[in-house]
Amino acid sequence: MLAPDRTFARRDTALFILCLVLSVGALFAPESWQYAIASSARSTALAPLIALQRRAEASRTSLARFELLVAQRDSAAAAAQSLPVLLDENSQLRALLGLRRRLTTRVVPAEVLHQSIPTDGRTLLLGSGRRDGVEPFQAVVAPEGLLGMILSTGPATSIVLTWAHPDFRASAVTLDGSVTGIVGVTPDATAREPMLELRGVPYRDSVAVGTPVITSGLGGVYPRGLPIGTVVGVARESEGWERVYLVRPLAAPARVSHVLVIPATTEWPSPAPPEPQP
Amino acid sequence: MSAAQNRRIRFSLVMLLLVGLQFYVRPRLGYPRVAPDFLMLGLMIFAIRSRPGAAALAGFIIGFASDALTPARFGAAMLANTLVGYTAAWGRAVFFADNLLVNAGFIALGVWLRDLLVLVASGTGGSELLVQLGVWSPVLALTTALAGVLVLAVFRDWLDIRLEE
Repeated sequence: MLAPDRTFARRDTALFILCLVLSVGALFAPESWQYAIASSARSTALAPLIALQRRAEASRTSLARFELLVAQRDSAAAAAQSLPVLLDENSQLRALLGLRRRLTTRVVPAEVLHQSIPTDGRTLLLGSGRRDGVEPFQAVVAPEGLLGMILSTGPATSIVLTWAHPDFRASAVTLDGSVTGIVGVTPDATAREPMLELRGVPYRDSVAVGTPVITSGLGGVYPRGLPIGTVVGVARESEGWERVYLVRPLAAPARVSHVLVIPATTEWPSPAPPEPQP
Repeated sequence: MSAAQNRRIRFSLVMLLLVGLQFYVRPRLGYPRVAPDFLMLGLMIFAIRSRPGAAALAGFIIGFASDALTPARFGAAMLANTLVGYTAAWGRAVFFADNLLVNAGFIALGVWLRDLLVLVASGTGGSELLVQLGVWSPVLALTTALAGVLVLAVFRDWLDIRLEE
């Protein structure tokens, strides 16, 4: 018969190996399984904890949000003074041009529930899900600009794939519309902070430092006009073929606390292009 | 109720308190990258007074919760927390002293090691890895260790951890 200590040691080793095997299995499981397991856990065992965190986030930001809302309401009230005249003018012009009514789309506001592991920022947990109208592949914007897209949804939560994730891609265009390309996170990680790259720019086109980059609307996920970032320089170039530009993103996934989820059909009001210099 | 049952209940209450702190208090503590990680603190305290197998299982469960909430690389936190829990329970048996500062250092090391394993398993490399491990992880480890000192000092009798006076 084995001594109790030895039996315990064997049991410890067996338990450790089992946990290790399950962890490695989870690491290499198909993505669809991973998201299904994570979503099930969030909507069952972890649901009370997420509700607790959502409440904490709401109460932490409630005073600041109240002050912001009051300021926004005042601005909106001032702007609304001229609204009836503008609406009337707009409907007359649309009738003259034979245009249909402007599409109205629903935007879902959501709170970001940050977690403590270091990969928080590549994906983010939102406190809104299918019940609130959030669907996969909808664009997510922070107040500063594009943050990412909805990766998976549960009944009351959803996961955002942010621009800092290696799988992120978005069709982009410079603000004046002259240069198009694809943005994705820098793969070489030489920068101290995660940066974006504007790839696929023809060699003959050059983009000045400081040029704003926005979404082009191609691809059906991100509506046109979402601010992405500003060009800070050339990352690398293939002689005679293409240039890759380094873009500093506007939104910071690690710091953002509130976001808007918007469907791809939305026409986002893009910022006015810079005035041409004399 | 026996003394052992009493101890178990008190220990479970402290663990529940840490879970509550993680989800209700941590979001109010400012920048999320540096606010103390109470789940990790719970794992380290559990590992200090448990057998390696149980600590590995606790690490696996906490890792599963972390991966479900941040599935940037599903399975990375499970793997990291399992390894940290098991190693911490063994480490305590080999060189652990009953001193508050050593406990704090042990907790900080556990947090930093967890971050290292999660980042490596997630395929993070280059400068981003260095910045994370050289700047953010040490600060997170420090704040978690400070929270650990407080919890250990307040609940030392409930946790059954012998500390030098």
